[in-house]
Amino acid sequence: MGESLVAIAILLPVIAGVAAYLGLPRLVRRAVVVGTGIALGAVAIALAAHERLEVDLPALGFDWSRALVALDLLLVVVIAYLAIRTRHRLAIGLAVAQLAVVAYLKLGPSSHSVVHSTFVLDRLSTTLSLIVSIVGSIICVYALRYMDEHEEHHHVSPSRQGRFFFFMLVFLGAMNGLVFANDLGWLFFFWEVTTLCSFMLIGHDGTPVAIANASRALWMNLLGGLGFAGALWLLEARGQETSLEALVGGSADASLVLLPLSLLVFAGMTKAAQMPFQSWLLGAMVAPTPVSALLHSSAMVKAGVYLVVRLAPGYRETALSDVVAFAGAFTFVVAAVLALTSSDGKRVLAYSTISNLGLIIACAGVNTSLALAAALMLILFHAVSKALLFLSVGSIEHAIGSRDIDAMEGLARRHPKLALIAAAGIISMALPPAGVLLSKWVAVEAAASAGASFKPLVTVLFAVGSAATLGFWSRWLGRLFTSPPGVPTSPVRLGSTYALTLGPLVALIAVLSLGAGVIVDSFLEPGMRLYFGAEAIEGAGIALAAGEASYPLGWLYALALVALGVPALAVAVRPARIRPAYFCGENVGGPTDDEFYTAAEQKVHVGIASSHFRALFAEERVVRWGNVVAIVLIALVFGVGYR
Amino acid sequence: MIEQVAVAIATILVAPFLGGLLTGLDRKLTSRLQGRVGPPLIQPFYDVIKLLSKDLIVTTRAQAVFVWGYFLFTASALVLFALGQDLLLIVFVLAFGSMCLIAGGFSTKSPYAIIGSQREIAQVLAYEPALILAAVGVYLVNGGFAVSQVWSSARPLLPSLPLVFLTLLMVLLVKMRKSPFDFAASHHAHQELIRGILTEYSGPHLALVELTHWYELVLVLGLISLFWATNLWPGLLIAAAAFAFAVVVDNVTARLTWSWMLRSAWTLGIGLPALNIALLYVRL
Repeated sequence: MGESLVAIAILLPVIAGVAAYLGLPRLVRRAVVVGTGIALGAVAIALAAHERLEVDLPALGFDWSRALVALDLLLVVVIAYLAIRTRHRLAIGLAVAQLAVVAYLKLGPSSHSVVHSTFVLDRLSTTLSLIVSIVGSIICVYALRYMDEHEEHHHVSPSRQGRFFFFMLVFLGAMNGLVFANDLGWLFFFWEVTTLCSFMLIGHDGTPVAIANASRALWMNLLGGLGFAGALWLLEARGQETSLEALVGGSADASLVLLPLSLLVFAGMTKAAQMPFQSWLLGAMVAPTPVSALLHSSAMVKAGVYLVVRLAPGYRETALSDVVAFAGAFTFVVAAVLALTSSDGKRVLAYSTISNLGLIIACAGVNTSLALAAALMLILFHAVSKALLFLSVGSIEHAIGSRDIDAMEGLARRHPKLALIAAAGIISMALPPAGVLLSKWVAVEAAASAGASFKPLVTVLFAVGSAATLGFWSRWLGRLFTSPPGVPTSPVRLGSTYALTLGPLVALIAVLSLGAGVIVDSFLEPGMRLYFGAEAIEGAGIALAAGEASYPLGWLYALALVALGVPALAVAVRPARIRPAYFCGENVGGPTDDEFYTAAEQKVHVGIASSHFRALFAEERVVRWGNVVAIVLIALVFGVGYR
Repeated sequence: MIEQVAVAIATILVAPFLGGLLTGLDRKLTSRLQGRVGPPLIQPFYDVIKLLSKDLIVTTRAQAVFVWGYFLFTASALVLFALGQDLLLIVFVLAFGSMCLIAGGFSTKSPYAIIGSQREIAQVLAYEPALILAAVGVYLVNGGFAVSQVWSSARPLLPSLPLVFLTLLMVLLVKMRKSPFDFAASHHAHQELIRGILTEYSGPHLALVELTHWYELVLVLGLISLFWATNLWPGLLIAAAAFAFAVVVDNVTARLTWSWMLRSAWTLGIGLPALNIALLYVRL
C-alpha cells in the first residue's frame, strides 16, 4: 500500500503533465490539473500518517538500476542539448562536464553498491511532500486563471499553457521523488529534473531577458549538480554506500564521507540560492508568478535546504557544521538588509525568501536537536506564507499593472480583498503567534543554547537580520492601506479562482499557526525522535516545558486572540469623521486628494514614495562585498571537507 | 492559572498609573533642569483625559486598526513580563507592536507621517538587535530566557552583563523618544516634521498612543530593573537611576542626524552586547 502511494505521488503528476501537454481542450486541462491536485493532496496526507516507510525498489523485481542509468543519461543529454541551445558558455561547459561525470559513473567501472531502501519516508520527507502536494496543487490551480490573464496580456497565441503545466506538474512529481529518495542516485536524478523544470519555466515567456535569466539559473544549478555528481563519484570511489542513511547514520567512516558531504551541502546551497549564488533567484522573478511561488519559494529551493537539513546529523560536530552555520546566518542578514533597499514587490519577496533559507541552513549548521526542529518548522511555515504572498502579488500585478510597492499605495480601497489577503500574508511573517515568527524564536533559542563550543557571532547575525525583516514588512503593510478619504471607488471583485486558492492558503496559515503546538508535539517531534535518536530530543523543549523557560502555549493563544480582536475592535469603533491628511496648506480636495494650495493660490502636487535606504545600503556595494565574503565561506565549505 | 490572570489584570490596571506618574516626573525634572516651574506631577493624566474627550478623526480606517494593534501588543508584552515569561518572546511581541506603529504611520497619506515612519524603521533597525542580544545575554548567564528565572536567581545580572546594561540605557532613550535618539517622533514639540510618525493621530487615538507609551516605559524600566533582581530595592534603584540619567541626557544633548544615529546606535546596540556575549563565552 505504501509503495503504491509513493508511486502515485511521483508518477501521477508526470502522467497528468503529459496529458496537459497534449493540447487538450481547455476545460479538460483544467479538470486534469484540479484532479491531480486533489489526488496528490490526498496521497500526501495518507503518506503523512506513517511515521516511517521504506520502499525497496530492487526487491520489486524490475531492474530499476538499469532504468535509472537510462533515465540519468537521457536527462543529462537533454540538459546539455538545451544548454547548447542557449549559447551560454558557462552553461554549456557545466552541462557537458556533468554529462561526462554521469556517463563515467553510470557506464564506467564502479562498485555499484546496492542500496536497499530506495525510498525512505520520515517526518522530514512527508512534511515537504505535504507542502509540495497541497501548496503546490493550490498554486497550479491558481495558475489556471493567472496564465489565461498572462497570455491575454502578452498576446501569446497559440497558447503555451500546455507546455507550462507539463513542466509544473512534472516538477511536482520530481519534488516528491526528491524528498522520498534515500538512494543518492535517484535523488540526483530528481534533483536534476527540478533543475530542468526550473530552466524551462523561467524561460517560459521566451523573451531575451527570460532566456538570459534562465541560462543563469541553469549554470548555477548545474554547478551544484556537478558538485552532487562529484560527491556520488567520490562515494563510489571510496567504497561507501551511496545512500542518505549511510551518510547520516554514523556508521560511515567520518574522514571518508566529509568531502562528499561538503559537496552535497554545496549543491544544496546553490539550489537554495545562498550567497554568492543569489542572483539566479532574483533573475528568476521574470518568470510568471506561479513559477516564483512554486519553484522559487515553496518547493525547489526548499529541496536545497532539505538536503542540507537532512545531512545535518552526518556533519554534526565537525568544522563543516560551523561553516554552514556562518554561511547561512550571513546570507540571512545580507539578504534581509538588501530587501530593505528594493521597491519591486517580487524582488523584496525574493530577498526575503533567500534570507529565510539562509536562516534554515544556519539552523542546520547549529545542529542541535532544537535547531533542527526550528529548521523544520521554518520550512513548513515559511513555504505556506511565502506562497500566499507571491500569489497575491501576482494577482495584484494583474489588477493594477505594476508590482512596485509604491504603486500598491491605497490598494485597500479599490481591491479590498486582495489587500487584506496580502496584509494577512505579511502579518503571518512577523506576528508572534504565527508560524514564521515562532520558528524564528526557536531558532534564536537554539543558537543561544548551542553550547560553549559555538561561536556567538551566529547569534548576533540572527539578531540583526531579525530586526531588518521588520523594516521592509512594516513599510509594505502600511502602504497597502494608504488611501485618501475621497469618494470610494467601486471595489473590484476577486473572482472565484483566486478566492478559492488564496482563501484556503490564508485559512491554512491560520490553522497551522494556531495549531503550531499540536503540530510540533504530535507530528514533528515523534518523527524527529526517530531521526535524531532518543537521546537527542531531551533538550528540544518546544512544546514541552524545559524548566521554567517553556513555550507559553496558553499565552500565545491569548495573543492570537488579541491579534484577531484588533481589527474587529477597530472596525467596530467607527470614527466620527475621516479627514484628509495635513499637507502644508489648504487641501485642494477631490477624490485623489493629493494637492494643496500654496502662495498665490497655486496648487502643489504631493507625491509620496518610500525611502529605500539606498544611500546607506547601496545594493551594488552590499552585493559586491557580500559576494566576496560568501565566496570565502563557500571555499571554507570545501576546505574543511578536504583532508 | 487564576493567579496568572489576576497578575495580568493587575498589571494592565496599575501600569498606566505608574507610567503616567513617571512621565509627569520626567516633565517636572526636565522643567526644573531648564529653570522653569513646570506642570503639576499628574499633568499627563489631565492631558489624556482631555484627549479622550475630543472627536475621533482619522485619515483612513486602517490607522485605527494599527494604533489598537500597537497598544494591545505592547500591553501584552508588559503582561508577559509581569508573568515572568520568556524574554525573547517579550522582545518579539514588543517588536510587532512597533511594526504596527510604523505601518500605521505609513497608512496615512501624510508626508510627515511617512517620513517619520521611515525614520522609525531606521530606529528599530538600531535598537531591535540590541534587545534580542540582551535577551541572549540573559540566557547565557542564567541558562534560560524566562524572566521568572532571573527573579529567582541568586546571582545578579549586572556584574556579568555590564555592557548589555549600557545598551539597555540606550534603548531606554530611544523608547522614551529622548535626545539624542528622538529621530522619529520627539517627546517634545521640537520636531521639524510636525509630529513625525504621530502627525495624523489625534483625540482618543493620541490618548491611546500616550497610554501605550506609558506601558512601554514601565516595561523597559522593568527590563532594566532585572539587572539586580536578587532583592526588590536594588532593581528599583537602578531603574530610577536610569530614568534620571535619561532625563539628564535628554537635556544636555541635541538630536543626532539619521546617519549618525544609525552608526552610533549600531556600534552601541550591536557592538556592546556582542562584545559582552563574546566575553561570556570566553569565560564559559
